[in-house]
Amino acid sequence: MSRSLGASGPQCVVFLWLSLAFGNVAEAQTLSVRGFADVGATAFTASKSFGAVLGSRAGTVFGGGVEVRLSAPVFVSVRGSQFRKHGERVFVFEGETFPLGIRSTVAITPLELTGGYRFRADRARLTPFLGGGIGWHRYAESSEGADDDENVSGMHRGYHVLTGAEFRLTGWLGVAAEAQWTTVPDALGRNPNSVSAAFEETDLGGTSVRVRLVIGR
Amino acid sequence: MSRTMVVGLASWVLGVGCWGLGLAVAQDRSFRTVLSEFTAPGIDRGVHDNDAPPLVRTSRNGEYLRGSIIVKFRPGTSLGSRRAVLALVDGATTPALSHASFDIVAIEGDADPEAAAARLASQADVEYAQARYRVRPALVPNDPFYASQWNFPAIDMERAWDLNPGASPAVVVAVIDTGLAYRNLMVRFTTTATRIDDTLFPSLGTIDVPFAPAPDLAGPDRFVAPRDFIWDDDTPVDMSGHGTHVAGTIGQLTNNNVGVAGVAFNVRLMPVKVVDDFWDAYFGSPFVGTDDVVARGIRYAVDNGAQVLNLSIGRTGPPAPVVRDAIANAVSRGAFVAVVAGNEAHRGNEVERLAEFAPQINGMVAVGAIGRDRQRAFYSNTGSYVELAAPGGDTSRGGITAAILQQTYDEDFMTSYLDGPARLRAPRFDVFAYEFLQGTSMAAPHVSGFAALLIQQGITNPAAIEAIMKRFATDLGPAGRDDEYGYGLINPRAALRGMGLAK
Repeated sequence: MSRSLGASGPQCVVFLWLSLAFGNVAEAQTLSVRGFADVGATAFTASKSFGAVLGSRAGTVFGGGVEVRLSAPVFVSVRGSQFRKHGERVFVFEGETFPLGIRSTVAITPLELTGGYRFRADRARLTPFLGGGIGWHRYAESSEGADDDENVSGMHRGYHVLTGAEFRLTGWLGVAAEAQWTTVPDALGRNPNSVSAAFEETDLGGTSVRVRLVIGR
Repeated sequence: MSRTMVVGLASWVLGVGCWGLGLAVAQDRSFRTVLSEFTAPGIDRGVHDNDAPPLVRTSRNGEYLRGSIIVKFRPGTSLGSRRAVLALVDGATTPALSHASFDIVAIEGDADPEAAAARLASQADVEYAQARYRVRPALVPNDPFYASQWNFPAIDMERAWDLNPGASPAVVVAVIDTGLAYRNLMVRFTTTATRIDDTLFPSLGTIDVPFAPAPDLAGPDRFVAPRDFIWDDDTPVDMSGHGTHVAGTIGQLTNNNVGVAGVAFNVRLMPVKVVDDFWDAYFGSPFVGTDDVVARGIRYAVDNGAQVLNLSIGRTGPPAPVVRDAIANAVSRGAFVAVVAGNEAHRGNEVERLAEFAPQINGMVAVGAIGRDRQRAFYSNTGSYVELAAPGGDTSRGGITAAILQQTYDEDFMTSYLDGPARLRAPRFDVFAYEFLQGTSMAAPHVSGFAALLIQQGITNPAAIEAIMKRFATDLGPAGRDDEYGYGLINPRAALRGMGLAK
């Protein structure tokens, strides 16, 4: 059996929503483009690792992007975001964490492609939606006094599903609240001298909640 | 005078060993008078009321002392039981020693200490018993002087200092060794003819011997809680140069436009003298470096706040449970211990007894030596107890400059005894030079200084210090841990950086 015939769960989700999107093109009434900006918080799956280095498993995420409505119920969006937080390098020994006083900065910058479906009733101002997709997550970690080869920078592929609801304030302005679950497998824990390896945590994903300001019809 | 005479007479009456005559003479003349800064009145250091019982030495090549053994009874053993046990060897306890969890038991001078110890060790009430084995500096001497310290680039030390420039005075490192060149003194010794290593050295009469702090080592408030277990006082001046060289690698002043550098150049140093050398013996020190003296030195260091203990000393022969006990105690109280793996690889690779139990104590590390080519030094012991490697020098591959350079006494002014008795002259311990020495003695202080940096960095648990050293060591030799390099060559830069989230 060749690998090309197999598909992972997240890939199936992406395929499903893209199929929905393009399956409804024939019914498309309009093609609209909207912009959005969002702010929220992410609780990372690798909670021990983030907690040890950054002092918390969660942090603020800022994002923004473009959403294309292919038909009334179907949309495709591209969203960029960034999580950035300072902490310090540590040593983990038998579950005890020793901070070393060396400032460290972790930045995660995903670029996510999402296909979704909007459940809009006639004349209703509140529109629930759900979706899923694929993302490319750039992970960068640097610390003071480090040489280039001691810092980390790399791209990792992940998958996500999301759900939420949008409330139209005016014809051109709306706000939305949404929750997203992301998995970025095998992005962490590769280096044996890393905190994530010490805690045997490999997933860079997490659970996010955010509010979004939407501009456009 | 009376006390020393009694001691000497007692030794003479016991009629013991080849050091018998020497001891009687030595104890009679074991005076040294300290003339501080040339102006202070002399201090008669003679023999003090709390001195240990009469010592009966073997020759300086002897493996243990006669006339006494080390015994530790199990907790709760009654006085009656102790007496009954000691009666088996006609032994008698001596007054309790400071910084000791064991007893020194006096036995007959002509009794075999090893046999007596073995008999007591088999008793249920005895945790361990052993003879008082001699401990010596783990040094392979070399001819002196070239100015280069390849050892620091070899462990990426410059970049480690970028992260942690030399720790801080809050960290105290005990140098448990031959003493330290740490203060100005003028000491008056009254000498007599003395037999050392089967050679009779003539009397030099009454001589004034100058001591001075090593210029590249001493600084304001640099030294803390000095203690001398060889002369039983608080003036552990070095009469060998070994301890001073070792201390230099740990904490030589750096960036001061003088001489050479040390790993942790801001720490405070605790000189603890537990090993004697030629001049100590010639001047008649009341004690010699034995296991029990080392054990007391270790406890003293921890009692007085040392967080790192460097033991560039060692011996072969039978095991040393009294030292193991003291080190385990030290680690349990938060001190990290670095000890030499030994210099016997080229002479049969006999087990280094002060290091062999290192793998069983998390927080104690046995250190082997590498040369400038990052290969195991020819003398560096191999075995399951070798845990880490550090630069110790190897002149067999690279010549004299492949040894470790530090400041210590100028040998020209203190090793006249090497030229024979006829050319013996008074030593000077106030003339310094930069000397190349090699040995695991030189390797261990790299690890001690490294430990001080880690403590300053925030890792205070001795077991964690050992763990991070091993984790970030640069693997040498066969992949993974091996008996030559242990977990590999220390890598202070990598360890001080510790762990990031992903790297």
